[in-house]
Amino acid sequence: MKILYDWLKEFVAVPFSPEELRERLSLVGIAVEGVSHTPAGPLLNLDLTINRPDCLGHYGVAREVAALARNELRPVSIVLPEVSESAARATRVEIDCPDLCGRFTARLLNGVKAQPSPDWLRKRLEALGQASINNVVDATNYVMLELGHPMHAFDMDRLAEHRIVVRRARAGERIRTLDGVERILSQDVCVIADAARAVGIGGIMGGAETEIGFSTRNVLLESAWFDPISIRRSSKALGLRTEASTRFERGADPEMAELASRRCAALIRELAQAEVLAGVVDVYPARREPLPLELSRKELLRVMGARVPDSEIETILGALGFAPRRTDETRGTPDSLLARWQCRQPSWRQDVTREVDLIEEVARHYGLDKFPPRLHPSKQPAARLPHALPEDRLRERLIGLGYQEIVSIPLVDEEEDALFRPAGVLPARVANPLAEDASLLRSTGLVSMAHALAWNLNRGQQSLRLFEIGRAYRVQNGAPEETRIVTIGATGLAREKGIAESARDYDFADLKGDLDQIGALAGGFVWKGDTLTWQSPTRAGQFSLSNDKPGWLVVSVAGGQTRRIEWPGGTLIGAGGQLADRVAGKFKLRQDVFLAEFLLGPFDALYQLGREARKYQPISRFPAVERDFSLILSDGTTFAAVRVVIAALGIAEIISVDAVDLFRGRNIPPGKFSLLVHITFQSHDTTLTEGQLSDFSSRIISALEQKLGAALRTA
Amino acid sequence: MPEIADIIRQTLAALGVSTPAEVTARFDALRAEFERDTTSARDEASWKSLRDAWLGRKSGVLNRITEQWLKSAPPELRPVVGRSLNELRAHVEQGLESLQRSIAAAAEKAALARERVDLSLPGVIRPLGSRHLVRQTFEEIERIFLSLGFTVVEGNEIETPYYNFEALNIPEHHPARDTMDTFYLDLPPGSKPHLLRTHTSPMQVHTMEKQQPPVRIIVPGKVYRRDNPDATHSYVFHQVEGLAVDTDVTFCEFKGTVEYFVREFLGSAAKTRLRPSYFPFTEPSVEVDASCFVCMGKGCRLCKFSGWIELFGAGMVDPAVYGFVNYDATRVSGYAFGLGVDRLSQLKYGIDDVQLFFQNDVRFLRQFP
Ligand SMILES: [Zn+2]
Repeated sequence: MKILYDWLKEFVAVPFSPEELRERLSLVGIAVEGVSHTPAGPLLNLDLTINRPDCLGHYGVAREVAALARNELRPVSIVLPEVSESAARATRVEIDCPDLCGRFTARLLNGVKAQPSPDWLRKRLEALGQASINNVVDATNYVMLELGHPMHAFDMDRLAEHRIVVRRARAGERIRTLDGVERILSQDVCVIADAARAVGIGGIMGGAETEIGFSTRNVLLESAWFDPISIRRSSKALGLRTEASTRFERGADPEMAELASRRCAALIRELAQAEVLAGVVDVYPARREPLPLELSRKELLRVMGARVPDSEIETILGALGFAPRRTDETRGTPDSLLARWQCRQPSWRQDVTREVDLIEEVARHYGLDKFPPRLHPSKQPAARLPHALPEDRLRERLIGLGYQEIVSIPLVDEEEDALFRPAGVLPARVANPLAEDASLLRSTGLVSMAHALAWNLNRGQQSLRLFEIGRAYRVQNGAPEETRIVTIGATGLAREKGIAESARDYDFADLKGDLDQIGALAGGFVWKGDTLTWQSPTRAGQFSLSNDKPGWLVVSVAGGQTRRIEWPGGTLIGAGGQLADRVAGKFKLRQDVFLAEFLLGPFDALYQLGREARKYQPISRFPAVERDFSLILSDGTTFAAVRVVIAALGIAEIISVDAVDLFRGRNIPPGKFSLLVHITFQSHDTTLTEGQLSDFSSRIISALEQKLGAALRTA
Repeated sequence: MPEIADIIRQTLAALGVSTPAEVTARFDALRAEFERDTTSARDEASWKSLRDAWLGRKSGVLNRITEQWLKSAPPELRPVVGRSLNELRAHVEQGLESLQRSIAAAAEKAALARERVDLSLPGVIRPLGSRHLVRQTFEEIERIFLSLGFTVVEGNEIETPYYNFEALNIPEHHPARDTMDTFYLDLPPGSKPHLLRTHTSPMQVHTMEKQQPPVRIIVPGKVYRRDNPDATHSYVFHQVEGLAVDTDVTFCEFKGTVEYFVREFLGSAAKTRLRPSYFPFTEPSVEVDASCFVCMGKGCRLCKFSGWIELFGAGMVDPAVYGFVNYDATRVSGYAFGLGVDRLSQLKYGIDDVQLFFQNDVRFLRQFP
């Protein structure tokens, strides 16, 4: 809403400069975005909240100025000479749908000279962004901007039988509105009709056929009140928002209808030398008594926490039209705790219906800055999210491993999501997406990760390590489901070339190593061979947590609740590996890309379990001894198999078994490979002797020979 | 002096030395010989051979003299030979020691000139990641409110219209719904309707349904609005909802909490201003402004020349909301606020485009380690 400073001054003495007024109004809740200068004087651009339709006119804003300046609001004074012929005899008004139209007033003006408006009027309208049309239409707009009440003028001679019927539109009824558009109406829409057809959409826009033109002689001036919800529905359905619909849908003042009509008739009479017929035809089914309200100091204190003096309460509520009247028995005592005021709701403030609404009125004009700030003591311990700790550890470990955290928009492209979506997952689709490529809630974070990698690669960033802690979405048994996940993506160099080191590409082993470092937080991951459709068939795998025993896990799910779930040992929680060429191609990823994702619920649960079970392990006082075994194995034999065979020997002194070198070719026969296994022995009780060590070694070698057909490679 | 090897292989008698003066002269000659040798030793290796030549256990000069001269010396010369030998030994040992020191010092000096590391060269840098800026802001907000006794809770992003709107006093045809364009889910026929929450406020209702006062929570999370993306709008952004309800929570406690937050978040110089506003689920409602930290209140482009910057919306919980969760609105009161995490981060770090938060360009992300 735009407000002219000089226009306000017609209703109230304004003891502030426009800039001061901007600040003052903002501090009582009438936000002013800025002040500009127009040929009609300084202009305030208001950013009104939707609950204040009373400020959609200069008079309503003047009332706020009067209240904050403690100045008097001048009444709207109207001198309206009428001819003796009565309006009631010249027209008739019926309201068939009182649920949609609560009041309809008609005034009649004869012998109008429709012509261009005078300069002063055009200037004001134009400053407020309203095009000048002719003096009759301009008068309705002028009064709307002044008093906040929309009106409409009909060419009386074009109304069949010169009468008005306010009714629901007939199904499929057509009307050409003032903007020249032919519209088809539904039965929910309230129309203003004459004896034959709809001549306007009630509260939204008039019809073209009864429009005021320069040939118009006689005018029927409508000033009505429409139900806000019905206006809102119709305006939405028709895709038509107007100055009128905005005011009616927020709740115009039904009492203002008649006053605005009178004011407008007086203006048209003056501008267009018209005769005004006597009286007004006023059908007012929605008339009701003003709503009684009450304010007590006790409640004001309970909500606001500080006392406001009696005089302030009474001045403020009085200025805003609430007519406060002290009703308690302690009237003589100033600022009594028992003070109560009986008030009534002014017709222009239908947003104020309760005591708390009155409290807000008092508080905002008293000044929110006058309430002292206090801190309240906490009565309960504060807690972080149930999964905050494992998430912190996970995040700090990923960051330490060089991964940069990302945050992405979970709305993704349906086809791209399908590239990663596990079989049998029903995705959560958006019914009203804004764009094709954001029509689905992602069923995994991998699709967002592929995008983030592509974005950076396209911008010259060749070596990337990214992670996201987020959610995946799906529909399960007809209901949407959200799951906490972590997604990892990497490409380019694992190590940059430097003075001390040579460059090396990021490879599957980097991904696996990093995942295992993370998995160690929750007791470790166990890798399995099967690959998913998005994964390269050779360099990828899936993993479970190395909690072998089936059992129950307390998992915190998205939404903060914790849930007990059955967790059979070996249940997969994630997958990692190189992105399949087929999928990489779709994202135009032209270098090797590695991705991984796993569920956070079970990970968090096992992190917590492991954390609670932590105990100190004594450190042996005796030296550890290392031995290397250079094995020739058949292709397909896994390191895991080697470890199993060694573990089966039950040699307690073995404290670690590592693989430190692997190669094929050279002097290794085809179908075989060489694996260098590094074993560390240590006892807690004694220094191991050469004899013990060679016994261990020979047992290990012969077991590997027998179980795996391994041969010891001699240098 | 080729003859020295010769001399020390012979006895004094064979050399024809018979008087103390002759003995002394022989030792003086040896001392001069040692001096000559030391001037030619410049490195560790030549020092070692010099040491071996003079102090070697078998064929060292001093050992030879002991064997050849001292042991066979006639009794009258024995004292002078013994004394001279001791003096020569002390001289040689001392000379060798100082020679070693000066050789080591010279070697170190040479090494310094040749090998000292260039401290301006980089060390081996292992890459490190960092938290996303939005995450950092979340953590900062959580830290501040945890210190005030607020517990952190989370909610689902997919909500029902009841929790997102109705229970927050926003019935179906409320004009406030216009300001929150909403994404709805396309679910199988017969499913309950769901939407993507437009604010984190539904957790107010969920929490109060489950818990009696006192309630003091914050709710971080993602929210969705069906707005066309631009520099200030995104389909998705982040909020932290706050809610405190008890029998003794008034506007003054609300104000104290908000002012504390603003000072902690923007610095102790930041001033707070509360401006009346409107939200369907708070009454009274306010916008929380902070003094503009660019112009310090004098007026600039960022603050639209008002000296103040709008931070977030808040207010006292509207009693209508208590009706939806069976709280006694005549007994309890409280406040709620909704912080826009992206907006606060934009303001604090001078980021002019909200899309930067979601593009995940590492050149942006690495600026906030
Ligand atoms: Zn500024």
